[in-house]
Amino acid sequence: MKKSIFVVLVAILLLTACGPKASSGPTEVKVMMWGAPEELAVWQSVADAFTAKNPSIKVTMDVADWDSYWDKLNTLYAANTPPDLFAMDAPLFQDWFSRGALKNLQPYIDKSTSLLDGLYPVTLQAYQTPDGYFGVPRDAQTIVLFYNKDMFDATGLAYPDDTWTLDKLREVAKQLTLKDASGNTTQWGFSADLWDMELFWSEAIWEYGGDVISADHTQTLLTEGKARDAWHFIYSMMVTDKSMPNPDESGQFGGDPFDAGVAAMTTMGHWSVPQYSTRGFKYDVAPFPSGPAGRVTSVNSAGFVIPAGAANPEQAWEFIKYVLSTDGQIQTVKLGLAVPAVKSVAESDAYLVQPDFPINQKVFTDAFAYAHMKPVFKGYDAWASAVGDPLIAVWKGEADLDTTLDQIKIAADAILAENK
Amino acid sequence: MEYGLKALGREKFWLWILLAPTLIGLLFGTAGSLLATSTLSLFKWDLIGAPAWNGIQNYIDAFTKPEFLLALKNTLVFSALYVPGTVVASLLAALLLNRKIRGVGIFRTLFFLPSITSAVAVSLIFSWLYAKDNGLLNTIITQFGGQAVNWLGTKNVMMSVVIANVWGAVGEGMVIFLAGLQAVPREYYEAATVDGGSGWARFWHITLPMISPSIFFQTLLATINAFQAFEYIYMLTRQGNGNSSVPVVVFSIYRNGWRFFSMGLASAQAMILAAFIVVLMLIYFQLEKRWVVYE
Repeated sequence: MKKSIFVVLVAILLLTACGPKASSGPTEVKVMMWGAPEELAVWQSVADAFTAKNPSIKVTMDVADWDSYWDKLNTLYAANTPPDLFAMDAPLFQDWFSRGALKNLQPYIDKSTSLLDGLYPVTLQAYQTPDGYFGVPRDAQTIVLFYNKDMFDATGLAYPDDTWTLDKLREVAKQLTLKDASGNTTQWGFSADLWDMELFWSEAIWEYGGDVISADHTQTLLTEGKARDAWHFIYSMMVTDKSMPNPDESGQFGGDPFDAGVAAMTTMGHWSVPQYSTRGFKYDVAPFPSGPAGRVTSVNSAGFVIPAGAANPEQAWEFIKYVLSTDGQIQTVKLGLAVPAVKSVAESDAYLVQPDFPINQKVFTDAFAYAHMKPVFKGYDAWASAVGDPLIAVWKGEADLDTTLDQIKIAADAILAENK
Repeated sequence: MEYGLKALGREKFWLWILLAPTLIGLLFGTAGSLLATSTLSLFKWDLIGAPAWNGIQNYIDAFTKPEFLLALKNTLVFSALYVPGTVVASLLAALLLNRKIRGVGIFRTLFFLPSITSAVAVSLIFSWLYAKDNGLLNTIITQFGGQAVNWLGTKNVMMSVVIANVWGAVGEGMVIFLAGLQAVPREYYEAATVDGGSGWARFWHITLPMISPSIFFQTLLATINAFQAFEYIYMLTRQGNGNSSVPVVVFSIYRNGWRFFSMGLASAQAMILAAFIVVLMLIYFQLEKRWVVYE
C-alpha cells in the first residue's frame, strides 16, 4: 500500500462532510445496497415504478459490491451523513441496532396495518427487538442442494431427492469424485464453503442435534456434544474421502468449484441461480439432505433498515412499503437472486415459474417449513472469523480437528463476552 | 553547505504558491491523518457512536491478541525477506541494463512496467502462475516429470508472496540504481583498468562504495514499502469472507477498523506499525554514518 489507509479515510471524511444538501423539488431518498451491476438496473426500474406512483419522491439507488458497501456505509456513518435507507444482512443487524444506528420502524408499521402479515414469520424474526421491529425483510434465502445433472447423467446415478440423508450425500459424493491417470482430482462429488456457517456447517450441526450458539448469545455451542459429531462428518468427507475440495483447491476455481463445473453438488442459496444458469451445464435443486436428528436447513434474509439520522425517513418508509407490495415483490423476483419475503408472491407463478431459470423453485419455498434462522448477534463478523479462520488449516489437513475446535470455543466465547 | 539559487523578493511569493498544493496535501492528508490516528488509538470507537476514552487499553489489547501478534510476525518475516530481495534484485537489473546493449530502452521499460501496472491485475496473473493444478509453473514442472508444488500452500506461501512483491518492486529500485550508477565518474573505472583491476574488483572497490547512497535510499524505501505491503499479499492469500492465509499488519488494521467495528484498536495497530518503521529508520541512519560514502 503506497499510502496509509488512513490518508484515504480522512480524505473521504473531509469530502463527504462538505457534501451539498438537497435543494427544493422532489424529496430525494438515498438508498444503498450491495449487489452486482445487473441488480442496479432492476432496482432502478423498481425505483422508477415507485416514483411514477409517488412523484414527490425521487429515489437514488447506490449499488456497490459487498466489501465496498460496508466500507462506504461505515464511512458515511462516521461522517454523520448516512443514507435514508440501506440494505441489511440479517446476521449483522445486531451490530448496527445495538449501537443505536437504526430507527425504530414500529411506529410506521403500526400505521401501515397488515403490511407484515403476509411475510414468512422466520424472515421477520431477525429484526425483532424489545421495542419492536428496527428493520423489515426484503427477500429470503433458504439453503438447498444444487446438483449438476450432466455429471449425474454421465455416471448413471439417480438425482438427489427428498429421501437423501447426509450419509447418502457422502456415499454419492465419493462415487462422483473422479481422478485422472496421475491421481489428480478432476471432479469432486461435493463442494461447500465452510468458512461461514450458512452454507453447510450450521445445517449439519442442527441435523446432528447440536446447536451453534446459545439462545442468549453468550455461549458458543458449536464445539460441544452432538455438534462435534457433525464436524467429524464434514472432516470425513473433506480429509478422509477427499470428495470435497479443500480451501486451497476451491480457491483455484474462484472459490466455487460447482460454478466452475468441477464439483457435482453443492449447498447454496438462491443468489447463485442467475450465475449458474449462464455456465452451460444443466442443474437442478433438491432439499437439504436430512441428518440423524431430522431435516434442518438455514434461512437468512436481506432486509431494509432506516438510519437513526436519516434525512427523509418518512419517504424512505414509503419506498419500503412499495418494495413489500405485490407489485414491488414481483419486480424484484425478476432478478432471480432470492425468494420473495411475501408468502403470496413466493407461492404464486410469478416466483415458481421463472422461464429464465427452469429449476424446481418450490424446493426453496418448501424449505421454510424446516429452516432455522441463521443466528443474529452482536460481533457476528469477529466471531465468525474466530471460527472460520482456524478451521482452514484443519481442512487442509495441517491441524487436528478436535484441538482446533477446543481453541475456537475459547476465542469465540471471548468475542461474545466483549460484545455483550 | 547550501546548494542552488536563493529565492528573492517576488519569487518567494510564487515559491509558496507553487508549493501550496503539496504542503496542503501533506498538512491535511499526512499530518492530519497521523494526528487523527494517534488520537483515535486512545479511544474505543465503532464508527457509529461517539468515541469513548480507552487510555492505552487498545495497545494492551493489540499485544495480547494472537491475531495481531501473528500479523506482526508475518510482517516482520515478510520484510526480512523482501527488503534484501528487492535491493539485490533491482541492483542486478540496474547493472545488467547499465551498459551499451541493443534495445536497452525497451528492457528498461519492460522492467519498469510492473511499477505502473494495477496490483490487483498483476496479483490475479500471479495466482494463476502459482495455481497448484492448473497453474503455469506446475504445468512446466510436471511436463519435465517433476512433482507439482503447492506454491500458495502453507509451506511455500510466504516465499511465493515475497517473489511476487519483489518482482513488482524491481522496476522502481532499478531506476534509482541506474541513476546512481550513471553518476559514477568514468575516470575512476579508467584509472582502475590502467592499474589492472578486474571486473569484480572494480565493482567491489568502485561501484559499490560509489552507489552506497543509492543502496541506503533504496533499503529505506523498501523497508517502508515492506511494512505497508498489502495488495499483492491480500490478493494472493485471500480465502473468501475477507480472510487471508498470510494476514499482515495492514490487513489486521483494515479488518479491525472496517469489519469488526474497532477503529480504536485498528488505530493503535497503525501506530505500532509506524513505531516499528521509525525505530528501523533510526537504526538505518546510524548505519548510514558508518557505511555510506558521500563523494
